[in-house]
Amino acid sequence: MDEILTIRVQDLRAKMANGEVKSVDVVKSCFEKIKKVDGKIRAFLKLNEERAVIEAQKADEKIKSGSEISILEGVPIAIKDNIMIDGDSMTSASKYLKNYISPYDATVIEKLKKAGAIFIGRTNMDEFAMGGSTETSAYQKTANPWDIEKIPGGSSGGSAASVSAAMSPWALGSDTGGSVRQPAGFCGIVGYKPSYGLISRYGVCALASSFDQIGVFARYVKDAALLTSIIAGKDYRDPVCEPLEFIDYTENIDTETLKNLKLGIPKQLLDYKIDDVVTKYFKDAVNKLEHSGANIVEIDIPAYKYVPALYKVIMCAEVSANIATFDGIRYGYRSPNGKNLNDEYAKSRGESLGYEVKKRILFGTYVLGAKNYHRCYHQAQKVRTLLINQTNDAYKKCDFIFTPATLQMPVKFGESLPEECDIFLTAANLSGLPGITVPCAFADGMPLGVHFMGDRFSDKKLFQVAEAFEKISNFDRKKTPF
Amino acid sequence: MLKEELESTALLARLYIDEKEKEKYLADINKMFDYIEVLQEPKVGDLKPTTHVTNLRNVWRSDVVKCCPKELVNKILDGVPQREGSFYKIKKVIDAQ
Repeated sequence: MDEILTIRVQDLRAKMANGEVKSVDVVKSCFEKIKKVDGKIRAFLKLNEERAVIEAQKADEKIKSGSEISILEGVPIAIKDNIMIDGDSMTSASKYLKNYISPYDATVIEKLKKAGAIFIGRTNMDEFAMGGSTETSAYQKTANPWDIEKIPGGSSGGSAASVSAAMSPWALGSDTGGSVRQPAGFCGIVGYKPSYGLISRYGVCALASSFDQIGVFARYVKDAALLTSIIAGKDYRDPVCEPLEFIDYTENIDTETLKNLKLGIPKQLLDYKIDDVVTKYFKDAVNKLEHSGANIVEIDIPAYKYVPALYKVIMCAEVSANIATFDGIRYGYRSPNGKNLNDEYAKSRGESLGYEVKKRILFGTYVLGAKNYHRCYHQAQKVRTLLINQTNDAYKKCDFIFTPATLQMPVKFGESLPEECDIFLTAANLSGLPGITVPCAFADGMPLGVHFMGDRFSDKKLFQVAEAFEKISNFDRKKTPF
Repeated sequence: MLKEELESTALLARLYIDEKEKEKYLADINKMFDYIEVLQEPKVGDLKPTTHVTNLRNVWRSDVVKCCPKELVNKILDGVPQREGSFYKIKKVIDAQ
């Protein structure tokens, strides 16, 4: 069962095209695995078994008939529960959207449908993607497949766990401050966030608009590149989506030799408390890269120390504006207890949103308040420019910035991670840069990863470098926790 | 932040918060105020604020009215908490003032 769900999607497609494997068998394998392990992991909020099997049968008939087939014909995929699929529920793991049915497809879903992909289910997440552990979900806590007493990371923890435990070959998530790359690191898979503006966000539930991007989870870098090729590109419905024509991110992905590649390690890495195993295996990864001919250079980005503060202030401000959409008027939960219109707004939100969401709305409203705006939000945006300028300067010395994916290993439920745990991931969102987490080792049965961050729109080269690292990492990609 | 300021912020945010939870919000949000202080440190006087990392530009299209298909209108209205015909039904706006 695992064999078919742990091979490269590219190989899976080849097997399906030549009739060796049927789409129905692949889709059924996903559900068998889900039935076997998801009771413990709780990665999925909703399954679409019946519909997925029917679609797989149709795909098989199409393949058998010899008619032209689409690039992902009959290939299953899991989708984070904040991306809209026409006619399907979308809760964003919030009670506010408990009964919400999407009236249209997100652009990425439209593209995946056109490519022939099959949606097997909706994955759990932090409520409205606000969190880094998937514990703020209003419905359930997702466990890390490698140790079910620990968090899978977040906010896209369900998607990460579903791929890690081979319940799905790959999945979509969203990344606002590391929400794809951090759980990918904790769960031992590849997690990629594109340059800001590369993938349309039309039909995705917004968190912080100037950081949000859809990202992908896969077992292999090549699969992440393939999925990105399908979902990226211009879309007039997302005003910040860059007008880029089709790019095949898998093309020439094997050509990077790492020879003379300049990898910058921020000297600020030494300022933080890092778990011993993270330090050990990061050094190991650096040695492997150097051995392959890469040059390691030290870079200096003093503004990294402002990353947690910058992220919190700007993200909360944008949250307070975006969540204002949820007012109980047009869709979602409406409180039966409202005495007048304002009271109805306040209670609809108050009764259906979780603590973390409300806290962020309150802090965001404060920093945007007329008398605080200049000192808080405006100042943060200036410091954001400082970070971007220093990062741009660093790229004059190196091709990619290389760090551990997270500075700590995942913790048990209820325990919290230090806020600097994923600052090198969040820095990518603040500067709109692409980043990819690639697993590098297991330490006491738990996987950990490294992170490459590229300059803006260096995504293609980023995949090449990640692919080259994947080859030398010796990480067993087929290993599953169950 | 004091309790009064929390309450006025909640009012601005149109957000009901339970009396019992106010202390917890205050404690958490007051901790977050450290972030604001940290951001006062660097000298950024001349720097332009970054609102977006893209060079936002106008996207033009023809000024043509496109009718929303009736099917889609119905789908959207199906999700409305309260509707009357093809309208959202809400409480009197004038009472809110």
